[in-house]
Amino acid sequence: MTDSELIISLLTIAFSATLIGAVIARRVPVRLRRIPAYDAMPEIAADAVESGHRVHFSLGSSAVGEQSTISALTSSEVVYQLADRLAISPHPPLVTLSHPATLPLAQDTLRRAYEARLRAEAFRTTQAAWYPLGMRSLAFAAGAAAHSADIDAASSVLLGRFGTELAFFGENAVRHDQVFVAHSDNPSGQAVAYAQSETPLLGEELYAGPAYLSRRPLHLGTAVAMDVLRWTVIMAILFTALQAAL
Amino acid sequence: MRRHRLLNVLATATAMIAGIVMLAGLLSDPGSDWRTLSALVLRLVAVTIAITVLIGILNLLGVHLGRFVRAERGWPYSVVILLVAVGVIVLRILDRAEIWSGALEGEQLSPRVFEAVQVSIESALAALVVFFLVFAAARLMRRSVSVWNVLFTAAVVVALLGWLPVRELDVLADVREWIVRVPVSAGARGILLGVALGTVTVGVRVLLGQDRSLRD
Repeated sequence: MTDSELIISLLTIAFSATLIGAVIARRVPVRLRRIPAYDAMPEIAADAVESGHRVHFSLGSSAVGEQSTISALTSSEVVYQLADRLAISPHPPLVTLSHPATLPLAQDTLRRAYEARLRAEAFRTTQAAWYPLGMRSLAFAAGAAAHSADIDAASSVLLGRFGTELAFFGENAVRHDQVFVAHSDNPSGQAVAYAQSETPLLGEELYAGPAYLSRRPLHLGTAVAMDVLRWTVIMAILFTALQAAL
Repeated sequence: MRRHRLLNVLATATAMIAGIVMLAGLLSDPGSDWRTLSALVLRLVAVTIAITVLIGILNLLGVHLGRFVRAERGWPYSVVILLVAVGVIVLRILDRAEIWSGALEGEQLSPRVFEAVQVSIESALAALVVFFLVFAAARLMRRSVSVWNVLFTAAVVVALLGWLPVRELDVLADVREWIVRVPVSAGARGILLGVALGTVTVGVRVLLGQDRSLRD
């Protein structure tokens, strides 16, 4: 099988599974397996609104227009789901990031959340803050972590692409008693997230986030498609291994 | 409202068309029309990303100017950021104008200042990361003693001890090498595979124009 055939096959399976999953989700309730991070996120938003504290989100070095584009889009969708709940509070969330191409996405995400709650006048473009620059930027980690401490954030939610600089955020969360949810699509950042967060998101769990938080049929269909693709790959690996062994 | 909907439709159509063009370009032979069109789209993206750096700088100045004006906690650091940012921009303009004379004639000062400050700070911060990670591993064990946490901590201890240049610990170096070569590589590949599958499925949703960032 050539690369093109493989790509077309995977896309066809993903497309079909997404649509079938969305149709099923419209007809029967789809039960998703429990992910503690997605249990914690609505509570983070609710606690922040009730206690009058702010929430710090970070998209890390997720970059629109580069390899981590989908991570950036999915992370911003999760941020939207939580910002939608936080928009009723007079204490706005803070979104930090280190790639400038993701800044308009972050600002638009917050703007749409405020507009959905009919509070467009409360939105400020400076609620999204860029710190230079790029992957594994320790200056970004130190600056953004300090910023979240300065605004007395009750929680930090890190989604997207991070390297070992994620350790700064985790240490800052411990020092300032913040609830800390972390994810990275980079294995080194993922290891740090696992060590520092009580409710980490592992690998592809980020991409199921919209399904857990919004429960919209197409998002549930995406979660179903991920499971179908995962089992397809597992079967392909096992089949290939057996074929090589026999 | 109507203008909003029209903009949403345009945004969705643009994203879908760009995605389909890029996909067609990747699946086409080199030199084909689709490949040429996708290369043009990539060049447009590169130019757009370059412009966003300017947006980022304006955002940085706006955020920290706001913190200074409202006297928020940490405003002195924001003042330092503003002064340094303006100083570096001025320095760069002077470098381009080739204004230096005497011993500094022909020199580019802004890269030298950047390297002198940035490299030192990043090195210092990188040294702190090691301690943060070791403390994080210790807190992990204090949080809950599960099989996976014990395994994680054991792997960290073996990896750290295996790096020591002590002859009596050579066996740990071999164990460390095996850990990195087998389970760590397998785990990392599993994570990357999962991320890739998630990327494919979400990408399909973007190609269908169903991503919320385009529709709302």
